[in-house]
Amino acid sequence: MALSTWPGWQRLFSGRDSAKKRFVALAIIPLLLFMVFWTVFPLLWGSALAFFDYSPRRMGGFLGFGGDNPFVGLQNFQKMLYSSPDAPLEVQQFHTGVKTTLLFVTLVVPLNLLVTLPLAFMIESVNKRVKGIFRTLFFLPVLAPSVGVAIMWGYVFHPQRGLLNAILGGVTGKLVAINWTGDPSLVVAGIPVALFAVIVAYLWQDLGYNMVIFIAALQGIPQTIKDAALIDGANSWQLLTRIVIPLLMPTILLTAILTMISAFQVFDIVQVMTDGGPQGQTQVLLLHIYNYAFRYQKMGWAAAVSIVMFLMILSISLLQNRLLNTELEY
Amino acid sequence: MTTFSRPHRRFRLNLAYFVLIPASLIALLPFLWMILGSFKTGREIRQIPPTFFPQEFTLGNYQRVLTDKDLPLGIFYRNSAIIALANVAQVLFTSSLFGYIFAKFEFKGKKALFWFILSLMMIPPQMTMIPGYLILAKLGLLNNLLGLILPAAVDAFGIFLFRQFALAIPNELLDAARVDGAGEFYIFRRIALPQMGPALATFGMLTFMFNWNAYLWPLIVLTEKNVRTLPIILTWFSNRMVGNDHLTMAASVLVILPVLIVFLFVQRWIVEGITLSGLKG
Repeated sequence: MALSTWPGWQRLFSGRDSAKKRFVALAIIPLLLFMVFWTVFPLLWGSALAFFDYSPRRMGGFLGFGGDNPFVGLQNFQKMLYSSPDAPLEVQQFHTGVKTTLLFVTLVVPLNLLVTLPLAFMIESVNKRVKGIFRTLFFLPVLAPSVGVAIMWGYVFHPQRGLLNAILGGVTGKLVAINWTGDPSLVVAGIPVALFAVIVAYLWQDLGYNMVIFIAALQGIPQTIKDAALIDGANSWQLLTRIVIPLLMPTILLTAILTMISAFQVFDIVQVMTDGGPQGQTQVLLLHIYNYAFRYQKMGWAAAVSIVMFLMILSISLLQNRLLNTELEY
Repeated sequence: MTTFSRPHRRFRLNLAYFVLIPASLIALLPFLWMILGSFKTGREIRQIPPTFFPQEFTLGNYQRVLTDKDLPLGIFYRNSAIIALANVAQVLFTSSLFGYIFAKFEFKGKKALFWFILSLMMIPPQMTMIPGYLILAKLGLLNNLLGLILPAAVDAFGIFLFRQFALAIPNELLDAARVDGAGEFYIFRRIALPQMGPALATFGMLTFMFNWNAYLWPLIVLTEKNVRTLPIILTWFSNRMVGNDHLTMAASVLVILPVLIVFLFVQRWIVEGITLSGLKG
């Protein structure tokens, strides 16, 4: 039977809108195939891996499952709950990874907003002619590769030849040789100094994003609203706290969540600057996943950690959707 | 007679300058430190405490990096450019086409498919990282630039963005072309696409930048030296040159600055793309 006599084909390619239907079908069918092959299938395979003790080095059956890569059920997930000090190394490292990532995110998000919001206000307040210059200067690091950023900051924090120690030495008049990114005994308020160093580099690169978003949001506030407040006798501080910030609130919430999601997935700067060290103090989750999947070839474990990380990010995204549904009109 | 004079603007010193000027200088310091270091001699770079401005200005580091047989920068520039340009081209094509279709056509399951694509936006890339690597290994595409191009043909956010832009195209315009007997692809190509020009520029620049600067996925897929991209080769070089900071700094300048300057010129579109993605979710 020729394909063209099949009823479905007839329905698809004949009739009044046949040209439209053919166009849509010719585009959507490849899209579906692509999605199935490069998204749905990998997601399923990746999820399945989490239930196997899988390593690409070992032989297995279909898709590498079975054989030397045995099914282990929920074992990978159960292991994550071990809390005894003699838990396997990957479990201990996973726990540090979760702690480090949460610490990283909780520090990065507020610090980011504390810098970007005032920065956006200040840049919006200066003369139009120089506004663009300041925006460009603070936006520049966004455009640079994060690898380059990490290397640059590595030379700022270098214990012997670094800029920071040189400045501190110049101020104190003594030779300063603090090993910012490599000394595990440096801990301030329970937070490793190496993590602070990584956060500084990360923030430096990331600030420009939220800054331009806030500048755009500020420019979106109608002048009439501000004029009305000024006519009513508001001073500039009241204008900022009573009018501008409340109107920015939806944008602030959204950027906070977007910043949180991307901070959860930090990898480049940490891997290049410290590679998780010293003594795992900057070992974030994605670095843990990368190490176990591609350095130690324990992909089953890495896939299980990926799922846990995904669930953490998903819960934030769902929160985002809830917030997005409450839109503010003006 | 009324005279219109420009409102007399009293010179008011904005306190913001007192914060912005020092802050922007501090923000530039890491760049400056790297650029200055790239002109110092090896002896000067190892000096403790370090100097700020090079005492003995040299271009020798650049000469050594550019003639280093283990670091054929041209090849890595080419690799990065192939991946970034190919991905921009295909992502712009698929995003505009599917965004247009989702905006302007009705078909069975459209809503479900669109929600499915939107939900893909929420899945972090590391979820498909491990199986993606295994698929590329099975297809023999590890250490092949195609391994970074084939899986990147569709971008969920791009489809979403272009749908927003395509919604604004008047239906009358499309129907008029249909009455004139134009084919559907012709209408997309000649009528719908030009209407989405700003989105093409914005999203194209953003895609190029993300691809050009990408690190993790290329690091996984490209492990043989001569197929690597610039960010990966830069870390490889800096690990090999430990203690020779002046050479790594010169290599970093050669890798980062040329394209950074180009990005500066198209900054407007990149900023627009970021604010679009940030403001509209």
